[in-house]
Amino acid sequence: MSLAPSESAPAGAVAAATGAPAGRGVCRRPGSPGPGRARPGHGRLLTRASVPYLLIMPAVLGFAIFKAYPIAASFWISLTTGNGDARRFSGLANYRRLLDDPLFWTALKNTALILVVQVPLMLGLALLVALGLNSTKVWLRPLWRLGVFVPSLTGLVAAGVMFSVILNHDAGLLNWVLSLFGVDRVNWLGSPFWARVGVVLVITWHYTGYNAVMYLAGLQGIPKELYEAAMVDGAGPVRRFVSITLPQLRPILLLTVVLSTIGTLQLFDEPYVLTGGGPDNATLTVTMYLYNNGFKYFDFGYASALAYALALIVSVLGILQVRLMGERR
Amino acid sequence: MSHQLTRRQILHLATASAAGLGLAACGSGGSAGGTDGADGDSGKITVWSWTTAAEALRGVVPSFERDNPGIEVDVQDVGNPAIWDKITVGLASGGKGLADVLHIGVDYLPGYLEKFPEGLADLSRLGADRHKDAFVAGLWPTVMGKDRAVHALPWEVNPLGLFYRHDYFEKAGVDPASVTSWDDLIAAGPKIRAATGAQLLGLDKPGTTQDMDFFQNLMQLQGAFYFDAEGRVTLASPQAVQALTVIKRLNDAGLLADTAGQGTWKRLVGQGKLATAPYPAWAIEYLATKFPAQSGKWRVMQPPAAVPGGGRGAVVNSTYLTVSATSKRRKAAWRFIEYALTKPTEINRMFASGGVFPALRSAYADPRFSAPHPFYGGQQVLRSFVGSLDSGSGATNFTGDYGRALKLAADAQSQVLIKGADPAEALKVAAGQLARQTGRQQAA
Repeated sequence: MSLAPSESAPAGAVAAATGAPAGRGVCRRPGSPGPGRARPGHGRLLTRASVPYLLIMPAVLGFAIFKAYPIAASFWISLTTGNGDARRFSGLANYRRLLDDPLFWTALKNTALILVVQVPLMLGLALLVALGLNSTKVWLRPLWRLGVFVPSLTGLVAAGVMFSVILNHDAGLLNWVLSLFGVDRVNWLGSPFWARVGVVLVITWHYTGYNAVMYLAGLQGIPKELYEAAMVDGAGPVRRFVSITLPQLRPILLLTVVLSTIGTLQLFDEPYVLTGGGPDNATLTVTMYLYNNGFKYFDFGYASALAYALALIVSVLGILQVRLMGERR
Repeated sequence: MSHQLTRRQILHLATASAAGLGLAACGSGGSAGGTDGADGDSGKITVWSWTTAAEALRGVVPSFERDNPGIEVDVQDVGNPAIWDKITVGLASGGKGLADVLHIGVDYLPGYLEKFPEGLADLSRLGADRHKDAFVAGLWPTVMGKDRAVHALPWEVNPLGLFYRHDYFEKAGVDPASVTSWDDLIAAGPKIRAATGAQLLGLDKPGTTQDMDFFQNLMQLQGAFYFDAEGRVTLASPQAVQALTVIKRLNDAGLLADTAGQGTWKRLVGQGKLATAPYPAWAIEYLATKFPAQSGKWRVMQPPAAVPGGGRGAVVNSTYLTVSATSKRRKAAWRFIEYALTKPTEINRMFASGGVFPALRSAYADPRFSAPHPFYGGQQVLRSFVGSLDSGSGATNFTGDYGRALKLAADAQSQVLIKGADPAEALKVAAGQLARQTGRQQAA
């Protein structure tokens, strides 16, 4: 339950959006007959004003029970210590503890490192792949598109398990391939540096295709006339890419950056399966630390505080990105 | 995209959320009164366990149902580690949705008793105290809650042994009887390696799996653990430093193989690259079934002492059956536990089918405990484990903060093995963090 708050922003936005048409329905003109016609029993329930509410009811109820309630409850829990039957109010103690917890900072540092290194790498790669897939000169395009997208359909845990076999020190596929080129075996999951590289590798493998397909959709939405006009003006391929493709892709670039940032900050499955956060916490992420505190140490108060800290970080980063990259009005 | 909400939209959203919250609050308020358990003595009880243990428990059901008409038992294999999340969530939500009987390991039981004192049924009330002396020494403190009442009965106990390649020792000219401490084994290691190419043992050096059994065993052999009997932190005690120093010396001497990664240990043993395995009793059948080609080559001895002249007995871990406090049929559930865990015939039946080493002392009179085992060259392997239980090992206080201790110890061990840190320094930092995170005192 304490895992929910970081998702609150998108969920909240959806509920607000669906709330909008309902709001309009309320402003009934005075004296208007309404759709209830002359049947009193039905007239009460099914009015022009109430139907939109009924339609959004399932979504709102689902949001209230599975999102709003846990979000509110976990905020309350984050202000308490002790567990199970012995919970008591402790104010901001958990948040103070957070600032003084070396493991939290380690987890945050690891997450930031992955964010700074992996997200640009992956998105750059995805853009290149998308450009390739968009080219009309490529044979069997549907096949390549499918191949690029398929990794993102793999279950996260399955991907983690698969890579733990591939990255195995003694018997892994990757080390075997390296040995063919005379490269020494790499201790992928056993050294702090390479374990991070391993995690980056898995996430990149998993999500590059997903982002590439989003870019592809964006590329195909760019009007051909723009390129033709540019070519008439004598713009080369690089100039066309910088002056047309990138600006036209801006909304999608922003979307993928924000989504990838949120995804990275919530990174859990891959390091959980692959490294368990080790060695020596080199791949411990904030959500893993949160999970450990909640479900291994039963410290739900502290885990909830972690969740709120993470939600705060996600929101701040999200707002910053939208401000920096969004359309200038 | 516009994220601007109008005032009216916000109002609607707030109203809708408030309505939802109200509903949710009604839901939990309404059912809170109904979660209290009852002492029902008949009907259907469910049992949560995992894999081979669940299978073994199913073997008890037919005779139990015959002897206890009116009670029906449904044993469910929830899987391990899934069972811990399920039990934790169940206890945290006031016992909702829990099975009547829960199989719980020693690494979780004290945590549950400490954090959910109302979660597991008081079995003293149902007569559990009469079995106090029926189980091997050292387990009873674990089944007691803060209320001094019994909340569990011991089922499985895993005494430590040292499995070793008899043929390798012979080839290297090392007499197993001369190995009484890890010092002796570290001295013999290079000889064994030179003669056979095998390292002494394997350890997950980066700590991916947080398997800290070996470190714990080395502490347990000295009668120590992460916490003392009063629950104070002892992770930086001289015993803990000694334990980690033994591991460091093994590593520095090139006797420690890295077994990180799935299946690595099994592969190394299969290739004959490990000369010993410090493992509990469950490994008897595990080795025999996984490596049939090595039949006759392995033997078992009591574990070497962590310090020369020190103790040579340790209980690695143990598991228990408990009754959830919210069970409607607590008496029926208790009857099943008592039946399964205090009758030598039943518990030995489970030992035979699931390899669950019994904690019940009267079980050891069974002839199977002195039977020679062909895989171990006809050695009476079980007898040697029972013998090490008799030599006595103190109770280990896992406390409710075992998970944190395990994590910090695993970090300290990887720092020593991967980054060459000093054991005393690494443990000092870990113990400080453990004390701060848990609000516990450090023992002087």
